[in-house]
Amino acid sequence: MEDAQVAAMLVRRCIAGDASAWEEIVQRYHRRIYNICYRFAGSGDDAQDLTQEVFIKMYRTLQSYDVERGAFMTWVTTITRNLLVDHFRKSKQDRMTDSLDTPVSEHEDAMPLSEQIHDGAQTPDARAQSREVKETVHKALQKLSPDLREAVILRDLQDMDYKEIATVLKVPEGTVKSRINRGRAELARLLQRTYKQVM
Amino acid sequence: MAADHKNGMQCSEFDALLSEALDQRLTGEQLEHFQAHARGCPTCGPLLAEADAGLRWLHELVEVDPPVNLVDNILAATTGLDTARLHGTAAAQTQISWFERMQAWASAVASPILGVAKQPRFAMSFGMAFFSLSITMSMAGVKLGDLRHADLRPSAIKRDYYETSGRLVKYYENIRFVYELESRMREFKRATMPAEPAPQEQEREEDKDKHRRNDNTSGQPEPKQDRNYSQQGSQVILASVNHDPPVVILATHRRFS
Repeated sequence: MEDAQVAAMLVRRCIAGDASAWEEIVQRYHRRIYNICYRFAGSGDDAQDLTQEVFIKMYRTLQSYDVERGAFMTWVTTITRNLLVDHFRKSKQDRMTDSLDTPVSEHEDAMPLSEQIHDGAQTPDARAQSREVKETVHKALQKLSPDLREAVILRDLQDMDYKEIATVLKVPEGTVKSRINRGRAELARLLQRTYKQVM
Repeated sequence: MAADHKNGMQCSEFDALLSEALDQRLTGEQLEHFQAHARGCPTCGPLLAEADAGLRWLHELVEVDPPVNLVDNILAATTGLDTARLHGTAAAQTQISWFERMQAWASAVASPILGVAKQPRFAMSFGMAFFSLSITMSMAGVKLGDLRHADLRPSAIKRDYYETSGRLVKYYENIRFVYELESRMREFKRATMPAEPAPQEQEREEDKDKHRRNDNTSGQPEPKQDRNYSQQGSQVILASVNHDPPVVILATHRRFS
């Protein structure tokens, strides 16, 4: 059974009052939503709160989901994106004061398990360097404008196709591609600047 | 940029194909035109390089693990919504039995107390109180293991009370009897033993001496004896003159030249 069909069935069961169906939906999608939130908001705590908000909103509006109109994941991503934009508007001022040079200790606990468990093949220096690069890229991503950031996250981190992204962002596909390209280029410029300063 | 036309491709076309190119979806002639434009255009060439670099940086980012309790938190947050949405608040209230209500009330009352009791300092106090109680009980000879259901009946408790009070009275009476016996024995001893002749005179003298020494109640140290015994030899000793002094005849022998 395809993913879209499974999702549609779960939604139907959930609307019918099946609690286990809802639990399965949460189990299936929480990781993906958390990652979108984490990459967009930049903080693990914010990502956790936002993920909860996404699921609460999803649960409240589950009956409004129309299988014919699109994939469940696109619908979920749209809810997530709308909440993230709201969150960004609320915390705009805080974001302006952030710097790429600020320490990134906050992300220690948000590291993937593969990163937390030390790889025997990597030296401690290499591990530290790799972690530092990841943190720097993550920080640089926060510096992009929300339009470019969301496009880049959905395309390059969530592997969504351009059409789905266009649906989520409610913009033409050409605009999506343009934003993705500008986002990538801007990110590279930011990182080059950062590494030039360090060197 | 849109008007620029280099190597058979406009910059706007290049921009539209950039994503496809980075996804490696361009092939054939389209790819050749694209690459030729990138090499020749001073704007699009760097853009391709930067976008490619940015994409490679982004591939450094891996998926992060959500917090362990996230699913539980989501389910807890949405389960509350479920109850309200699906069943309705009023309907749910009517279906609650009196036992459930009692349970809810008891948990509402007990939860703050339990919350306080779970704090380490209170737990420590309770532990100490229990320890003291157990020591007291063991000293009193009470063993919880010996307690039976029958011991907790009112009649059994009453019987225990009377038995305990009876034991206490008996213990008190026994002690009184022993004291009385002791005092009688002492009297008997005193009556049977002959009186010893005490050296009363000597004792009296010693008592007087002590009295004299202890007369000084001023609390001051005794005055020093300031007599200069070294000068006693040169002191004029007045001899007592008898009424009939002895007559001494002195004879002087002078030489006259």
